[in-house]
Amino acid sequence: MKRYKWEWGIALGSFLVCLAGMMVIWTVDPEETVSRSERRRLAEKPELTWESLADKSFMDDTEQYLLDHFPFRDGLRRIKAYFAYDVLQQKENNDIYVVQGHAAKLEYPLNESSVKRLAAKMTGLWQQYFPEQDVWYAVVPDKNYFLAEKNGYPSMDYERMIRLLSQELAKNAEFGYIDIISDLTADDYYNTDTHWRQEWILDVAHHIADAMGVGGSLNFSKGEDTGFTEHEIRDFYGVYYGQAALPMEPDTIVYLTDEVTETAVVWSLEENMLGGAEAGKVRMPGEAGAVLKPVYQLDKLDDGKSLDKYDVFAGGASSLQVITSPDAVTDRRLVIFRDSYTSSLVPLLLGAYREITLVDLRYIDSARIGEYVDFDGADVLFLYNTAIVNHAEMLK
Amino acid sequence: MLFSSITFLYFFLPATIFLYFASPQKGRNLVLLVMSLLFYAWGEPVYVLLMLAQIAVSYALLWLVDRYRERRAGGIFYILSVLLPFMALFYFKYFNFFMDTVFGIRTKTIALPIGISFYTFQIASYCVDVYRGRVERQKNIVTYAAYVTLFPQLVAGPIVRYSEIERTLTRGAELSHIRMNFGNGMVRFAVGLGKKVLIANVAGEFVSEIAALGQRDILLSWAYAAAVAIQIYFDFSGYSDMAIGLGSMLGFDFPENFRYPFISRSVSEFWRRWHITLGAWFRDYVYIPMGGNRVSMPRWIGNVLVVWLFTGLWHGAGWNFIVWGLMFAVLLVFEKGAGRLYDRRRFLPEAALSGIRHVYVGMVILVSFLVFHNDSLSGAWADIQALFGAGSRISRDAGDTQMAVYAYLFRNRIVMLCIGLIGSVPFPAWLWTKLRARMQAGAAGDRIVHILRTAVTAGLLVLCTAYLIDGSFNPFLYFRF
Repeated sequence: MKRYKWEWGIALGSFLVCLAGMMVIWTVDPEETVSRSERRRLAEKPELTWESLADKSFMDDTEQYLLDHFPFRDGLRRIKAYFAYDVLQQKENNDIYVVQGHAAKLEYPLNESSVKRLAAKMTGLWQQYFPEQDVWYAVVPDKNYFLAEKNGYPSMDYERMIRLLSQELAKNAEFGYIDIISDLTADDYYNTDTHWRQEWILDVAHHIADAMGVGGSLNFSKGEDTGFTEHEIRDFYGVYYGQAALPMEPDTIVYLTDEVTETAVVWSLEENMLGGAEAGKVRMPGEAGAVLKPVYQLDKLDDGKSLDKYDVFAGGASSLQVITSPDAVTDRRLVIFRDSYTSSLVPLLLGAYREITLVDLRYIDSARIGEYVDFDGADVLFLYNTAIVNHAEMLK
Repeated sequence: MLFSSITFLYFFLPATIFLYFASPQKGRNLVLLVMSLLFYAWGEPVYVLLMLAQIAVSYALLWLVDRYRERRAGGIFYILSVLLPFMALFYFKYFNFFMDTVFGIRTKTIALPIGISFYTFQIASYCVDVYRGRVERQKNIVTYAAYVTLFPQLVAGPIVRYSEIERTLTRGAELSHIRMNFGNGMVRFAVGLGKKVLIANVAGEFVSEIAALGQRDILLSWAYAAAVAIQIYFDFSGYSDMAIGLGSMLGFDFPENFRYPFISRSVSEFWRRWHITLGAWFRDYVYIPMGGNRVSMPRWIGNVLVVWLFTGLWHGAGWNFIVWGLMFAVLLVFEKGAGRLYDRRRFLPEAALSGIRHVYVGMVILVSFLVFHNDSLSGAWADIQALFGAGSRISRDAGDTQMAVYAYLFRNRIVMLCIGLIGSVPFPAWLWTKLRARMQAGAAGDRIVHILRTAVTAGLLVLCTAYLIDGSFNPFLYFRF
């Protein structure tokens, strides 16, 4: 019986330390509102009402709240990652793998119906808005293109993706393809993030500008002396850092400025939608009172403004933006159907275009863009990364 | 509420343990009842009323049975006490399927209350046992309700009969008993949690990855079938381990529900090791009352078919479950016949026979679990065909890319599959027993063993918590029953 007494003591003691102790830490631990490593806002304490009890939303929200605010959350996520990698010998954690210092997200297999859907979307836009104009498209490869196959990870058939997209587009329209894939390597991307580095895609910008016939108007060279001034933003933990939950060195964002980028201004639809009595109205770029921001929006680095430092490039996600560049060499206009990769590329094109409109169809319905965008006489470029091409269902 | 949730592990469980042991012996059933209702209402805030209604109705009917036992009315009340829970079960679980199958009418989908199959069987067995005089009717409605709602086994078993926990419910658990079993219960709970979170969920991820591919080669098809079997076994046995462990912590002795079913050498042995409490329930309340095997051969075959039809249907209202159940009936009849034939002329060495039987049961497990796992018979048939190469044709155009994907998926999960396979046989338990015996031979052996055991338990808890926080893939398969 004496033996059972101390066994019982150990069992109960460890039980209390582990479970009840965690409850105590919980109550004294200050509550965070955001997870920097996962770059997302954490769930808020749910409100208890009869409705939320009856429809179970209170219980579901509480579960999420408790998961989000668990003490030592990041450390525990790291333990899980180590167990998955080292014990279960998994090659990835949460679909993120790390090779050659790069974190990348698995993306496979090729979704051919998605490629066809994107082609149909592009063709539809061409028929509706700019049937007489020159239209180009380019595809930005994700990091898997450079890393997956040679490191034993599955990847999409990228050649087939491009071939299929070209074939589908050729059925009804004439789109010019700009092959920027050969201009890129894995090192042109941030180690911890999905995006490319602005300072290393000058050749891509030149390639695109050359293809569209404005290469000569660009105000920078591809050599060592580009004419840009480099600025650094340190400690950039990209989107894959949090998902991988493994220790990685942070990246440094380098953004490039010159007189053109300094004078250019960004108009965003979201920031110019009026409220109150004028709800539904929009202040357009040329109108008095329109909100205009700089190309590099460093205020996004302030606490709470944005969870993603990459948002300094043109302010991050927006359904519709118009960037006006008064110091551009030409009066030409460009409309880009884009994703987030374009945010860091577009400042490099401002020397050649007086106005660049960015349309992100993930956030705005294609039927609505005619209300805001003047396609007449503008060059048109579709620039999507391969993950969007493979998930075109997210385009409205 | 899920056992494998932060809410349960770090709030509900410590609070329940504290309230249970802090309250006087007489109040413990009330604590259990209140906490069990909270546990159930957390997942089923509306259907908790249905469960309470069923408890109240069965309690009242059994009171009437007692009162009118010698009269005809007593029999009618008894029949009602058994019939009503099954009528509720039929309505919530089988009505849609019945209307669709028999009349071709698609009715509005009825949400299935969590755990209704389990507590219906518990209520029914209690009513039968009381009527037949096997147990005394529980006059205290709190105690009776605590039996039906007892949270460790409420939503996914094991199916506990009243007679098995009557003593603890009525007299209370003795402190010495709890002292002896609390630690074991904790270990059992942590092992069950590990089986669920670290193996079943990870196997489930693998199953989803392969299912999303559409096509697969033969090797991956076998890995898929193995992963399905591992997921189902570790999910369900993990839950049972957690339930039994929680029971031990609270002073209850729940029956075992799994005894390494994958080492079986026949289907009949498999069912003596798999979901034991369900098999025992059907044996005692359906098979034996129908005459069991003490009847003519055709009648016995009929009995087997009926029992296994119901066993299949218990798992779900779908043709795949019916086929799954009947498949076992056919195999059991086949085994009996084949066994008799073989006994006349034993022509194989024992070792060879044993090997053949293991391979046979292994195949039955893989194939039957594919039927069990699929929502449709056509899906199950496609999965079974894929085991033998059919339907795994890969277009020449994308062949290399696809093969690379298959190879990667297999490599990525091979360690988990191996851990699952090793964990499903008695080897780890045997190893631990040997290790413990060796350590206990030393001076402070006992203490080292228990400290080591506690450390492993705590480690499992931390690891499972880490997985729960990081991931969202956490469905309990047996909740749908």
